[in-house]
Order: sequence, then structure tokens, then C-alpha cells
Amino acid sequence: MSTNSEKPTPLLAARGLAKSHGRTRALRGASVELRAGEILAVTGASGSGKSTLLHCLAGIVRPDEGSVVYGDTRLDGLPEKRLSELRRTDFGVVFQFGQLIPELTALDNVALPLLLAGASRRDAHVRAGQWLERFGVLGQEELRPGEMSGGQAQRVSLARALVTGPKVVFADEPTGALDSLAGEQVMSALVHTARESGTAVLLITHDAQVAAYADREVQLRDGAVVPLGVAA
Amino acid sequence: MRSDSPVRSMGSDSPVRSMASDLRTAWLLTRGSGRREWWRVALTAVGAGLATAFTLGATVLASASGRYRVPLAAGLLDDPGTRSGVMLGLTLLLVPVLGFLGQCARIGAVHRDRRLAGLRLAGATAGQVRRIAALESGLACLVGSAVATALFVRYLLSLTEDPPGFVWAGIALVAVAVPVLGALVSALALRRVVASPLGWVRRVRPAARRGRGARILAAALGVLAAGLVLVPDAFGGYAPVTVVVVVVVLTATGAVWLTGVTSRLTGRLLAARTGSPAVLIAAERLRDAPWTAARTHAAVLLVTVVGTGFIGVRHGLLVVLSSREPDGLSRGMSYYITGIDLAGAAVLIALAITLSGLAVGAAESLATRRRGLAAQTAAGVPFSVLRRALLLETALPLAPAVLVAGVGGMTIGVWYGVVTGDSNWSMPYEALLVPVAVYVLCLLAAATSLPLLRRAVRPMELRYT
Repeated sequence: MSTNSEKPTPLLAARGLAKSHGRTRALRGASVELRAGEILAVTGASGSGKSTLLHCLAGIVRPDEGSVVYGDTRLDGLPEKRLSELRRTDFGVVFQFGQLIPELTALDNVALPLLLAGASRRDAHVRAGQWLERFGVLGQEELRPGEMSGGQAQRVSLARALVTGPKVVFADEPTGALDSLAGEQVMSALVHTARESGTAVLLITHDAQVAAYADREVQLRDGAVVPLGVAA
Repeated sequence: MRSDSPVRSMGSDSPVRSMASDLRTAWLLTRGSGRREWWRVALTAVGAGLATAFTLGATVLASASGRYRVPLAAGLLDDPGTRSGVMLGLTLLLVPVLGFLGQCARIGAVHRDRRLAGLRLAGATAGQVRRIAALESGLACLVGSAVATALFVRYLLSLTEDPPGFVWAGIALVAVAVPVLGALVSALALRRVVASPLGWVRRVRPAARRGRGARILAAALGVLAAGLVLVPDAFGGYAPVTVVVVVVVLTATGAVWLTGVTSRLTGRLLAARTGSPAVLIAAERLRDAPWTAARTHAAVLLVTVVGTGFIGVRHGLLVVLSSREPDGLSRGMSYYITGIDLAGAAVLIALAITLSGLAVGAAESLATRRRGLAAQTAAGVPFSVLRRALLLETALPLAPAVLVAGVGGMTIGVWYGVVTGDSNWSMPYEALLVPVAVYVLCLLAAATSLPLLRRAVRPMELRYT
């Protein structure tokens, strides 16, 4: 365990975040830090504000109060176009389900972020194929999300989130729709790849077994972060 | 063993009681509908109202025989000949209305499917679920039909004080038939939908049966065509009405097939080659579901053929009328001009209905995919890419279809000019503007859903859908 004086500069830091959805206050002064290469689990009961915290940190929604700083850039003040670009280049996002385009094949889904970044079709497909292989779904390139199992689809989602080499992956209940075996496979693949590539992961989960994959765990309660210390 | 439980299995009642129970459930579902469901109900009612109005108009005209003095449309309804032309026009207007109703049925399909699954969980049989959904559509059609009938009767009574009994019988028949047909069509559309009690719905389309309906339809059309050629007398000779009906049926069937095939081919060709994310998304969607918009696109195609053809024929007609004016005409020029303009108005109405159907279809397609679209935006897919993809889904398959339709319509116009043989006739180049205008209007109709796209990709969609 490191001391405060040796504490590295956080890659992503949120301070005093507050966010309301209508009359519901989802976040009430939540503060959290994510360091480079770290896997951080954010746990909490349903409705505690976990997903809203992820959305604020990833620049998907703007907090009503507080700040989100990525490197030396304040995200809460950036225009939507720049945030969108950041999510394409520096961030990867994985949800419980729904992030794959149902009409695209697995290969095209993974290639899409590269095409958006201006890669040629051939290059995008080659790299997408390599990532599918890395996540053990090679041979499923031509399948569409509806034709895959939940675990396969989620591994394709991970490949898509990581194909651009992001610095941070935001994963919102990535195993929430999977059985325990498929969940373990997905988490192993995510953690292994993140460690290998030095990617930081912010993991939202209510499952203690999933949270155990993280280096550190923080708990959200009524929209505020309650630190739990270093995970076992 | 006989159960004494007061709870009886749903569907085990007598047919009448079962139907009454289904009707009550359908009414409860309609009454408790959310905003999107109310849109579906309202638009379905509007479509049914239009269908009722056009059919009532055609029915009343069909019930009249001999000469009348009708203070409407510059005397076009006075003579049996011109009356039958107006009647045919009203009947043809049903084509875009049916396309529009087809699109309305798709609104809220995902939400509706979840409700159907809920009904199954509550103990309803698969057949019962289909019946309840069909009755829901029937109720919406009943509202539209009742309003249209009331307005039509009021208008009719302002024209004639005492319509004969068979006219009333015809009106009653149409007023009842439209909601019944609406319910039947809905039941037909849901025939492949199996709502599982476990909360998911799937569309059953066994590979072995794929295309069986199309083959049966093709065979029926083949038999009809053979009959027309071999035993024309059985079809009243080559009476204009027979020929028009056959041409309309063949063209409509061909149009649906052509647009479906065009969508799939365009999608397949582009998906395999493009490096543009927007084109890739649009092309893969076309390849995956080429028939989704085929009915609306077919209506666009038909309107383009008829519209282009109409401008060509109008051009030829005006040349002929001008060369015969004033002595060679049995009526004043305004009589003929009114007739031509009314036909043009009918084409414009058809175009407006078709464009409405297209806009509804685009909006529904967005509403169904809003969670996925919100996830794409959250993952960094730019809004501009999704916007372009949405427009390309309409633009790509329609381009070749409208081009072919424009050529077909132009051929009709040129054919008419050649047949009339008037020395003053010239090429009706203005007709070429019709496919261009229709194409642009279709893109604008699809673009009306862009504000919805902006709302669909809001992060809040990630929470509640």
C-alpha cells in the first residue's frame, strides 16, 4: 500500500459531483480518483448513483456541480464534440448490453471506432480481427449480435471498447446480463487485457465477485462515495 | 379430475364470452396506453378515417346510375363515365393509405411486444394475445371510421336531402368493414409473432417456409395473367377497369418486390466495400432488414410512376384539347381542366399520405433503436454519423427505385403522346422533375425524424430503456 506522499497523480479525478434527474438527486458531492492502469470497482445498492457517476466521469452527462479532470483537461467544461472525440480516442465504454449495433457483424462492430478515426476498411478489419482473436471470439466475425451468446457479445463489446487503445475503460455492469461462467470469462478477459495494455478500468458493479477483480473498491451510498480501502 | 377453482383458464370460455373478454382487455390496454401508444392509436385512427372517407366516396358514386346534377367538381360527377373515373381515383388513393396504416402498426412495436409477453405471463394463449392485439387495432380503426362516417354523412346530406336506402346500406357496410378489416390485417401481421410468457417476443420465420407467401402470390398472379390472355371474356373482355386493376395489382406487387430487392442489393454491395461508418451502418441495416420499409418505399415508387405518368399524360391532353378548342370540344375547356387538376390533386394527396408514412416509419425505426443509439453516442460515435446513417437508410434504396419509377412514368407519358398522334405534341420534359421532387421530399420526410434522433441519443435513454 502506498503512502500519501508517494500517491501518483490521478488519471481521472472527480471532485464534489452532484447530479439530479428531475427531483431525484443521483449524486451528492461524490469524489473519486482513478489512477493510470488501475482497476477501480464502484459498488453500491441499486439507485445509489453508480451509473450516473460513470456517465459523469466518461463525459456522457455533465454534472450539475463539481468537476471532472482527465489528465490536465476539465471534462465538465468541454463542448460535446470534443467529449465525443475523447470517448472515441481515450475512453472505451462497455454497458450491460446494447452497445453493439445489431445490424453490424462482430467484425464491423469492432472495426467501427477505427473507421470513425479514419482508418481504411482493410486496416480496420485486420486490427478488429486481432482483437476478436485476443478475446477468444475469432471465427464469429460474421455473426451479428443477435446470433451470439451473451458472453460472446460482451467479449465483442470489450474488443470494441479496447480496439482504439484507450487510456480508460468504463464498464457499467459488464456481466450483469451473463451467467456466472460467462461473467468470469468476460471479467478475466477484461482484467488480463487491461493489465497487459496498462489501461485503467472503472468498473461499476453490485456483484462482490466481480468487484474482487479490482485493485481498489469504493462504495457509493446515497450519491456519495464511501471508501472501503484496498480490496483483497 | 375436475377443478373447482373459480379461476378458469383463459381461452376456455365460449367463443362469445371469450371475445367479449378479449375486447375488454384490448380496451383496458388502449385506455392505459402511454404517449407512444396513443400516437399509434391516433395515427391508425387517422389512416382508418381516410380509408373510410375514400371508400365511402367510391361507394356512393358506385351506387349512382344515370345523369345527375351534382354541384361539385365542375360537373365531373354528373355523367357515369367521368364518375367512374373519380371512383377509380378514390379507390387508388387507398393504396398509399394502406401503406400508411402499415407503418402505423409498427409504431411502438417493441413496447407492444413487451405487453404481449406480459399477457402470456398472465395466462393468455398465443392465439388470444394475437386476438387482443388485433382488437386493439380494430378499436383504433373504429374511432377513425366512426368520425369519418359521421362527417361524410353530414356532407352527403348537405348535397342531397334523401339518399336512397341502398346508399345507407353501403355507408353502414363500409363503416363496419373498415375496423373489421383493420383488426384482420393486424391479426395477419402478428401471425408470426410468438409472445413468450418469459417476457420476450420473437418473430417466427422458419427457413423452409420463407418465401412461400411470395410464391403463392406469384402463382396467383400468373394464373390471373394467363386467364386474361387465354380467356379474356371471363374478365369482361379487356374492359378498362379490368386492365387498370390488373396493372395496379401487378405494379404494386412488383414495386414491393423491387424495393425490397433493391434495398438488399444496395445494402450488400455497399456493406462489402464502404469505409465510411455512416454508409456501413445504413448499408448493414438495409441488408439485414430489406423489407422493413418496402411497403412505404413501394408506395413512393407507385406515386412516382403515377405522378410522372400523370404529368406526361396531362401534357399530351392539354396539347390535344388546345388543338380542338373551341369547336371540337363537347364541353367547355374548364370542365376538362378541372378533371385534370382533380386527378393531379389526387396524386398530390397520395404523395402527402406516402410521405407521412415514410416520416412515421423513420420515427418508429428510431424509437425502436433509441437505447442502442444512445449507447453508440456514449461510446463516442458522433451524432453526425448517426444522422447521416439515418438519412442514408432512406436515400440509398430509394435512389435506384425512384429512378426506375421515373423512367416508367416517363414511358407512360411518351406512350400517351405517341398514341394521340397530335402533330403539336412535344416531349414532356417537365415530367422528369417529378422523380427528383419526390426523392427530395422523401429525404425531407425522413429528416423530420432528426429532432427525435437528438432526443433518442440523450444519456437518459441509457437509464430507462
